[in-house]
Amino acid sequence: MPPPRESSPGLREVQAAFGRGLCDDSIDGDDMQVLAPDAGAPAFDAQFDVYRNNAWQFFLAALERTFPVLQKRVGQEFFRRLTREYRAQHPSRRGDLHWAGAAFPAWLAVRLAGTGYQWLADLARLEWACEESVAAAQSPALSIGQLGAIAPDALAQVTVRFQPSLSTVDSPYPVWTVWQANQGDDSDSGPTDLAQGGEHCVVACVADRVSVYRLDPADYRLLQRLHAGECFGDAIASARVDAGVLARLLAWAFSEDLVVGISPTAPG
Amino acid sequence: MTGEASIASVNCDPVPARAGIGLRSQHHESILTASPRPAWIEAHTENYFHAGGPAVRALEKARELYPLSLHGVGLGLGSADPLDREHLGRVRTAVHRFAPALVSEHACWAHVDGRHYNDLLPLPYTEEAVEHLSARVREVQDVLGRQLLIENLSAYVSFAESQLSEGEFLAAVVERSGCGLLLDVNNAYVNASNLGLDLGAFFDAVPPRAVQEIHLAGHSRRRVGGRELLIDDHGSAVCAEVWELYAHAIRRFGPVPTLIEWDNDVPALDVLLAEAARADRLLEQAHAAAA
Repeated sequence: MPPPRESSPGLREVQAAFGRGLCDDSIDGDDMQVLAPDAGAPAFDAQFDVYRNNAWQFFLAALERTFPVLQKRVGQEFFRRLTREYRAQHPSRRGDLHWAGAAFPAWLAVRLAGTGYQWLADLARLEWACEESVAAAQSPALSIGQLGAIAPDALAQVTVRFQPSLSTVDSPYPVWTVWQANQGDDSDSGPTDLAQGGEHCVVACVADRVSVYRLDPADYRLLQRLHAGECFGDAIASARVDAGVLARLLAWAFSEDLVVGISPTAPG
Repeated sequence: MTGEASIASVNCDPVPARAGIGLRSQHHESILTASPRPAWIEAHTENYFHAGGPAVRALEKARELYPLSLHGVGLGLGSADPLDREHLGRVRTAVHRFAPALVSEHACWAHVDGRHYNDLLPLPYTEEAVEHLSARVREVQDVLGRQLLIENLSAYVSFAESQLSEGEFLAAVVERSGCGLLLDVNNAYVNASNLGLDLGAFFDAVPPRAVQEIHLAGHSRRRVGGRELLIDDHGSAVCAEVWELYAHAIRRFGPVPTLIEWDNDVPALDVLLAEAARADRLLEQAHAAAA
């Protein structure tokens, strides 16, 4: 082993220089000399490139896994360009790359503002909701019969709890239609007709399968109120819907195994 | 089930000194009905951090049948930045939940100045790095309440500052932290080719009783900068030279649990099981020689 140099860099200095080299392909050999005297030589640079490539590919792969529909819509080349820009501003901060895409939808909203493609940020928001949904805990679903056991005059005070994986995404763009049309390897929805208007989506994972539902505006408003913990009576009032909407929404939610808690429960 | 819960039914056997395979999503179903069965399975800890989802469910099912080793890739134990306590907490939760017989991580760093590179980056083999890594390993062992195995890396660059050989470095970390070693034979082979690691000296320096698990994997060859570089990509079968080195390793260190590690271009389960059977034949010979 060679003797250490007169002024040896410490561990932090070595790692900081290594990190700078990983981030910047154009960094010159002088900065990397802290790593090895032959830094900057073709052989060293080529070997160091293995690490540069790994750091980039791992990050890219994480976003490709999380946003497959977005990638399909914008094409691989543009997706990579966006990912490179995003990574420069939002590098990974954790040892688990699952979270690498958390800020991507909000970043896209700024990056694409005013371009005519800002709807892609909402599509990304929907895909991130799917990612979070699949990672959430799943609870045993209740049947609508358990609701039927509660006295009718007590129903207004009842609250329901939904699957922990349930979340809501609404957009002024038809993101559910785009998402739905791009499921499967060879699917392609073709050009997106933004004129068809906004959509209200509910994402949930049941039995390890993520589903994305499209709700009409009234159902969606009511579900949001119930999801926020309001009792039936308050939710109907704040969502400005009638009891028929509540009955329809609950029938759907129970049939999809989305309801996991009822409070207060029926006596006995 | 919450992330803190432990699963109801687990195979409580220790990981035997036989061949196991890595659990990959492609085999979540087939591993449950595999015939013959691998002796044990290994899973990447970070893939099972979530409260729910198909991967977690698959490991819960597989855990009922197989002894388990949890292998972490994200702690970056040698990083100069502070230890990521949130990540460590998730490792602790996974260890509690899946009750593995072995828990391992790498002799590497991964993050600096708040930025994570999500790779297994090499450390300079210095006294400072030995002390730093040993302190981190002790800290993790204290939090987990158990011994950690530390794996030797494959590397593509070495550092001018290194004062120790790789084997001496690992031996010092074992001595100061009380950890065990996960010896990746393919990594040692890759380092011999890429960086001129003296395999004889490496094996001599590694304390034999510390080696509690071995990894075997494939690598690819790439021409870069006018020379051939071996890339530890876990995307192919174990090569003849690594099998030979493995036979030498278990003669020196004794028969220990051995993993067929194939993470990219994952083949059919039968292919993995055939590789595991080959390792098992060598392990049987080592068992017989040790008897």
